[in-house]
Amino acid sequence: MKKKRFPVLLSLVMMLALAACSNAGQTAKEGTKDSGSEGDAAGKAGGTITVTSVREPDTVDVQRTTWVDDANTHIYEPLVKFDEDGNIIPALAEKYEISEDGKVITFTLKEGSKFHSGANVTAEGVKKSFERFIDSAPTNYMVGPLEEIVVVDERTFEFHFSEPFAPFLSNATTAYLAPLDPAAIEEHGDEFGNHASSAGILNVKEIKRGSSITLESFDEYKLGAPYSQNKGAAGFDEVVFRFIPDDDTRILEFKRGNSQVMLSVPPNYIKELEADPNTEIAKTLANGHVYLGMNNKKKVFQDLRVRQAIALAIDREPIVDFALEGAAQPIFGPLPPAIPGYSEEVEGAAAKMYAHDLEKSRSLLKEAGYTGTNDAGIVTKEGKPLSLELWVTQEPTMQRIAQVLQNQLKEVGIELKISVQEDATIRAQSPEGKHEMLLWTYGWYDADILHSMFGRDLSTRVHYQNDELISILEKARITMNQDERMELYKQAQMILVEESPWVPLFVRENVTAYRDLEGFKIHPITGTIIWSDVKLKK
Amino acid sequence: MTRYLLKRFFTMLITLLGVSILVFLMIHLIPGDPVLNILGEFATEEAINNLKAELGLNQPLYMQYFSFIGNALQGDLGQSYITNLYVVDEIMNRFPITFQLAVYSLIIGAVVGIIMGTIAAVKQNTIFDQLAMMVSLIGISAPGFWIALFLIFVFAYQLPIFPISGYDGFYSLILPSITLGLATSGNIARMTRSSMLEVIKQDYMRTAEAKGVNVFRLIFGHGLQNALIPVITLIGLQFGHLLAGAVVTETVFALPGIGSLAIEAIATRDMPTIQGLVMFMAFIFIVVNLLVDIIYSAVDPRIKYE
Repeated sequence: MKKKRFPVLLSLVMMLALAACSNAGQTAKEGTKDSGSEGDAAGKAGGTITVTSVREPDTVDVQRTTWVDDANTHIYEPLVKFDEDGNIIPALAEKYEISEDGKVITFTLKEGSKFHSGANVTAEGVKKSFERFIDSAPTNYMVGPLEEIVVVDERTFEFHFSEPFAPFLSNATTAYLAPLDPAAIEEHGDEFGNHASSAGILNVKEIKRGSSITLESFDEYKLGAPYSQNKGAAGFDEVVFRFIPDDDTRILEFKRGNSQVMLSVPPNYIKELEADPNTEIAKTLANGHVYLGMNNKKKVFQDLRVRQAIALAIDREPIVDFALEGAAQPIFGPLPPAIPGYSEEVEGAAAKMYAHDLEKSRSLLKEAGYTGTNDAGIVTKEGKPLSLELWVTQEPTMQRIAQVLQNQLKEVGIELKISVQEDATIRAQSPEGKHEMLLWTYGWYDADILHSMFGRDLSTRVHYQNDELISILEKARITMNQDERMELYKQAQMILVEESPWVPLFVRENVTAYRDLEGFKIHPITGTIIWSDVKLKK
Repeated sequence: MTRYLLKRFFTMLITLLGVSILVFLMIHLIPGDPVLNILGEFATEEAINNLKAELGLNQPLYMQYFSFIGNALQGDLGQSYITNLYVVDEIMNRFPITFQLAVYSLIIGAVVGIIMGTIAAVKQNTIFDQLAMMVSLIGISAPGFWIALFLIFVFAYQLPIFPISGYDGFYSLILPSITLGLATSGNIARMTRSSMLEVIKQDYMRTAEAKGVNVFRLIFGHGLQNALIPVITLIGLQFGHLLAGAVVTETVFALPGIGSLAIEAIATRDMPTIQGLVMFMAFIFIVVNLLVDIIYSAVDPRIKYE
């Protein structure tokens, strides 16, 4: 009898496994089997497009996250959006007017716009959505000193600010500030993320946590941008965003034809994909840059000559060529070309001032008192070597960049000790000023990002405070005249160039590979897919 | 047996309590602030303080712990700071996939490992022995991601027999199961071999052979059954490890199991999810160990629990 008990237990375990298999299988039934299949909807090519992405958004509820990307942004239609040249143009709003004192912005909604639930987009609905945003969104600082929202009529509403807030319109181009469907908010409350409804070109069909988000074409969409040929609903049935963290797996899925779009192509695969006749590549420059940050609270960096010596010792070309395989553009100035406020004049001046010059770098170090050299070739001041610790994230590309920087700084006698830290650790400890240097990045759509990074008590990464700079950045925030505002940012950038509290290194290229599609485009400012004209090739 | 099980149940409770204290302290000791992860790069000081108060993170550590353990005892592991989803739901959504993967991998690992180990022992110092041990060594030492990518490249990319990644039922778990099963089989083969070598030398084996017992029955009926005790211990441990989430395999195959959930939670300092997962994994380990002990008595009649 006893001899039979072991096989019985074994079969019990197997049965349990199979039972679990059938249950889990049911929840995940609607997978990606139909990738690339053609639909038969009248007036559109139809079919399912599969996009592979590295990171899954925390939630598709944009009022509950600080992460917006292609997988959740297209559910939402903002009041205004950027055109391809970086100008703000109407989107859900037909027009907007700014009062003379700059404290009131009046929006008028386009007639006949609908939420995914079928309800009309109304001024009252927009107000309710913004109230939720102000009340609980982690990004609610984006509305600035907003005092109240006044509904004028069904399609018109006013934002009243206690003082002018110039970045508001740029912020309003993002999905964070796009109106949500008030009926869905009311019905689902904090569960809105599982039933998101807004007015974007795509609406939520299915969310499988840890695996995929399926969005379908919103048939009543009529808000196509001026830069798209198609002003109506997307020309396909649905798009499945699959989240595959491993680069090799993602590339094999794409090459096999299981996905039509591969976001964030790793630099080492770009050349291979460019050579593939079935693949097309879309590149846009990121709306931020990667920089070498110095902790300006530390005594060593309070000497401008040391900061400038470091900037002069860095040669950006090898970093771009070696660490990023060419998928980036060197930058010297504080703002990248994709952010309005970028100035060729500032960039030119910075490039001239900090062109790779080892002799000048060494001489500045000598002037700063680093006159000696120890046995390891490291410059010393009062017998103390110039040895600095660099915090870098676990991302392999960043570590490669750190190694290049280490070699370059060694040439002028600066020792760089690389310390690999978790992203969360750097976020938590750099505001406390525990680091000496860090390799970090930023990105945004408005030059006000400089205020977020260098405003009073806001400099959490490089800890640089400069009263003149702060005053210019604060003035730029309340200057509603665009030309005057841009002039202020030019002045602010020149201060940053001269003071060199950080070393801007490069702007990444966002590389997207796609196949079997026509009409595919990436927005040059936002870096997101423009879905309006995309169709599967027949 | 009932008394034994009750005793084990109380031991389990104490162990889980110990684990909960340890994991709670560790999460709060490692650098990284969940509030900064939730609010993003440019959060104001005021927003940070408000959220800390809302999440109870400004309370003394012991109060936070009692609040956590009090809820956990009622089956509430809290809500994820990042996704706002209930941790219990997140774990239960993902666990079936990890469970299937663990069972299939274990079946592959145990069957291949026991057969390889037995052949190696019976044919000691022959080419079969060397071959089996070489294969097991490869299984143990080859990195999981390498085996995974090799299998994907050959059996999903070049020969499109299996899906490359993602979860779509049993079929999509075959390659991940082979990946994990190979490593498991290596360990089991080595253990089976050494255990069998000892058993083969026993008097009763010689007696059975002298009595003319059929070779198959001699090896599997008399030999293997007696050699299985340490192998079962190993299988139990391996099963616990596999259930705790095979992070690398789940990542390479893009499987939404609890291993990948753990990685996401740690990267974002999502405390409720990390705590919930560790407690769950500890529970699984304890239950598996208990099952292993019960199986001992089924395999070896000399083992009895009073």
